[in-house]
Amino acid sequence: MSPPPSNPDNPGFDHLEALAHVVLNNLQNQHDWTETKVHTQPNLPRQILFGLPPKRLYVHPDEQIATIKAEKDRAERIPQFPEWEWVLPLHLSEKWSPADFAAVFDALDAIPPARDSLQDVQDVNGPDAAWKLWRGPKRGKRILLATVQDDSTVAYYWMHDGLVKPRQN
Amino acid sequence: MMATTERQVRISKIAGRYLVFDIEDVVYIRRQHGICSVFTGTMPQNPTQNIFLGLPVELYAEEARLLVDKGAGYIADDPADHLSQLKTLDETARKAYIQSLKSQRRTAQQVFLEAKAQSHAKHLSKRKPSSGAKLGKERKAANNESIVEEGADGGADAAESLFGVTKPSPPPAAAVGTVVVTKDTTTIPAITPTTSSVLIAPTKRNVPPEDPASYPLYAYLNARGYFITPGLRFGGDYSVYPGDPFRFHAHYLANSYGWDEKTLMLDLLTSGRLGTAVKKSFLFGAQNNNKKTNIEAEDGISNGTKKKNNDDDVRIFCIEWAGM
Repeated sequence: MSPPPSNPDNPGFDHLEALAHVVLNNLQNQHDWTETKVHTQPNLPRQILFGLPPKRLYVHPDEQIATIKAEKDRAERIPQFPEWEWVLPLHLSEKWSPADFAAVFDALDAIPPARDSLQDVQDVNGPDAAWKLWRGPKRGKRILLATVQDDSTVAYYWMHDGLVKPRQN
Repeated sequence: MMATTERQVRISKIAGRYLVFDIEDVVYIRRQHGICSVFTGTMPQNPTQNIFLGLPVELYAEEARLLVDKGAGYIADDPADHLSQLKTLDETARKAYIQSLKSQRRTAQQVFLEAKAQSHAKHLSKRKPSSGAKLGKERKAANNESIVEEGADGGADAAESLFGVTKPSPPPAAAVGTVVVTKDTTTIPAITPTTSSVLIAPTKRNVPPEDPASYPLYAYLNARGYFITPGLRFGGDYSVYPGDPFRFHAHYLANSYGWDEKTLMLDLLTSGRLGTAVKKSFLFGAQNNNKKTNIEAEDGISNGTKKKNNDDDVRIFCIEWAGM
């Protein structure tokens, strides 16, 4: 594995592993994530994580519209199961360039390689399946930036690859 | 250069700023090119005005460049143009200019009289004439409506004295369209034209556009139908609207970075947080120069001309607060 792009002078692998560990701990114990795993890949600058949050973390505004339409047609609520999410551990004092982020996104698939992460994608055919596509083929690349501060506070921010309009909240 | 469109927007470069003085041009670039920019002109009577600003519109260097690249405009060195052209003006050109001023004044007079007649008719229909005393009051009010009284031919004198001096005064282009109405309606009102386009023909000595670092991001967003205004009020370089800002709220606040420009995570997160607080997404974009040179090498382009509409080398990321 090559040294991290963010800090070429200090190929401190232990530091990055510790960082991933802090975030893993925080996800599991503070945010009740389950099946959180460390993911390593030769073309990634560092260890990243993926896992399953207790409730749905992100709904694209267009998916929301599609879901509301489908709910109107069916006259019942569509359950919002949580999705598998990528997590990139970072420290607040790090400096990243657009090239660094692009390298991470290019190395990843939109959906993490979890046990049943492709389960929802099975039956996307049918008249009212527009909303289902957002969990499968239409899902854009997104990653949760888990930024650790020295007091081990972790702040979570979404980063999307490409132009993604903001949520209506 | 791309195929030139019919209209050529005159972008006046004055003291390093790109200004558009012609209202037709302002409408054209807003409707056809998605550039709304910033009105910067104040009324001459109130130079400290900071709301409801008017002509001229000030363009970003990116916007000026975009118009030039699209073949929809040219950048003119306005002070130099005015100095040289006013000096070399011959008698017929002067007369033509004075004539055009007169026709503009007649139009202004017509417009004013029509508006006056309309408001008068409105008043009359509102208040039914019951007594002579009331009518007299109305007549008084109508007289007070004429705004500024002036000598019969003051406007024409001003226009002619423009050429009388050997050293021309600063270009009249910057003035805002004020209409000074004389009391006597048989003389035509004096006007201050917003542009000197009649006087100054398009010149060949165009100023080459700048190449701002954020131009690739600007062009990328503009090509996708986004409108861009200055982003300071939301904490970024640009505010990015999905359509005309009259109709939409901004979707993004945007910053442009270099491809290898290292940015502190704290800055990215604070911008993301700020964006979420105003219901926007924080967008940052960069142009991948390595990719660009690769593409150009493959295409065999070596003369350094910029390829248009080839913005697939721009990469965009959006940051939002995750809510956890």
